[in-house]
Amino acid sequence: MGISRKKFIDYILGGSLLGWLGSTLYPVLAYLKPPKVPEVNVNSVNAGMLTDFSINSSKILKFGRIPVILIRKDSGELRAFEATCTHLDCIVQYKRDEKQIYCACHNGRYDLHGLNISGPPPRPLVQFDVNVIRDEIVVSKPKPV
Amino acid sequence: MNEKYLNNTSVLISSIFTLLLLVSFGFAEEAMDSDKQDSTGVTNEFSNLPKDDTCISCHIEEEEMPEGFNENDIHMQAGLSCVGCHGGDNTIDDEDEAMDEENGFVGVPDREEIPALCGKCHSSIEFMRDYQPRIATDQVEQYYTSIHGEKFKQGDENVATCISCHSSHGIMPATDPRSTVYALSVPGTCKSCHSDKDYMADYNIPTDQYEKYAASVHGEALLDREDTGAPACNDCHGNHGTTPPGVASLAHVCGSCHVQNEEYFSQTQMAKEFAEDEMHACLECHGNHAVAKPTDDMVGIGEDAICMECHDVDEDGYFAADSIHIMLTQITAAYDSALSKLEEVKIIGMDDVEIGFLLQDAHQDIIHSRTLVHTFDPQRVKEKADVALKNSRDAIKLGIKELDDYDTRRMGLGVATLFITVLAIALFFKIRYIEEEQEKNKL
Repeated sequence: MGISRKKFIDYILGGSLLGWLGSTLYPVLAYLKPPKVPEVNVNSVNAGMLTDFSINSSKILKFGRIPVILIRKDSGELRAFEATCTHLDCIVQYKRDEKQIYCACHNGRYDLHGLNISGPPPRPLVQFDVNVIRDEIVVSKPKPV
Repeated sequence: MNEKYLNNTSVLISSIFTLLLLVSFGFAEEAMDSDKQDSTGVTNEFSNLPKDDTCISCHIEEEEMPEGFNENDIHMQAGLSCVGCHGGDNTIDDEDEAMDEENGFVGVPDREEIPALCGKCHSSIEFMRDYQPRIATDQVEQYYTSIHGEKFKQGDENVATCISCHSSHGIMPATDPRSTVYALSVPGTCKSCHSDKDYMADYNIPTDQYEKYAASVHGEALLDREDTGAPACNDCHGNHGTTPPGVASLAHVCGSCHVQNEEYFSQTQMAKEFAEDEMHACLECHGNHAVAKPTDDMVGIGEDAICMECHDVDEDGYFAADSIHIMLTQITAAYDSALSKLEEVKIIGMDDVEIGFLLQDAHQDIIHSRTLVHTFDPQRVKEKADVALKNSRDAIKLGIKELDDYDTRRMGLGVATLFITVLAIALFFKIRYIEEEQEKNKL
């Protein structure tokens, strides 16, 4: 005995309704836990607690697509610069003993204002703003002059 | 007929005459213009020159300005006029009197007097501090220690003196792009003598340095990309004390930029053996003027491997070279593969930030691994190469995950579209069925 036309339509309707509901609800539920997508325009990043960042040290942060070097000077002052050497794009590092920013690729050196002071780098490093808000370090894009 | 012929001839002659007149007028004008131009083609209007200087006013009027004269010459700008070098009195109108020996006129200084003449001011800090307090005043002293200076002392009449590099009447500071000793101009300045086969014939040295340098990694950076951070001739040979780097100094010369390479190399047994055999450290593998961008094939046991020029098969060096080459090839291949994955992820608009950071780290690790080649220790290279490999492989994994995620989303969209389409069709039939049922009930 074959299935009636009414039942057949009901089955198809019910099945596709469930499928439609599933494909509609999935993105809604997925929205609650969104996939990781690149942030188009990062304006600031949190760089951890000030108390966890020792004097005369540095760390590299991910500022959107840009690596940023955050330095805490002997005086406790914080400074941040784009960490890409202006010569050939190597990542710079902080020399704790010399109190300079150094690029190991071709011995490029910058002072703690980001100025290129020796070696082949043709330009200074771009400086970022650093603020401490309730003991948390926040690095932000430099304000346009 | 004859009259017509004569008329035509006279018109032709007068046309040629007019044309010649115009052409010669054009040449004259061009010649006048070129008189106003310095060696760099910049027009000199002489508007910045002192009007009360009789040397200048007379030489401009007589159109006898010296070759290569530039009114922006640093000495002219600092108020040191012609008399500073040529003597005479630039306040006297009378030509003979102004250029009288009694008024200190020396005319064109003899070649052998030039270093001393420049040194008269430039070797005196008491004099120079009024103009540039931090300027060095040992240029002449250094010059006499150079190959040029030594030959000059021996009476060589061809060898470079101060004016050979700095010019005479258009001297600019080395930081001025118009200067003959500006970073981008230095190779051309040295070339003017060192690439001249006839001029260099008596010195028994090659004349292809410029040609080789221009094709080298350094020359390409300086001359093609105008990267003033790249070394010119003087960065390796020195300025006033210019001399070819010796065995002892060569590694330090290269090491002034390639710090870690020198540091690693200097600690090796090979460095000691090179020094004992009086072999030039970096030069033996990389060359000097023609230094090319290093490739991974320079290390290893292949045809292009430099290691094989000294090491024999079955030596420790042979196995070390082979092992290092395999590691470098692996990390480069993994990096390239991760890079192409990154491109794929970028094209489809998925998250590429983390992959980019991983590849940035991998790139740094690859550079460091290649630098560690100068330790000639496969174990040390391996430690860094492993990190590079891990970063590249993590980037590849992340890339594959992003690509899979993209495929899943596309499939999900397809399935959802299918369900919606089927639902719409089913609704259509359901509505029709209901309408049919209603029609039947009415009947």
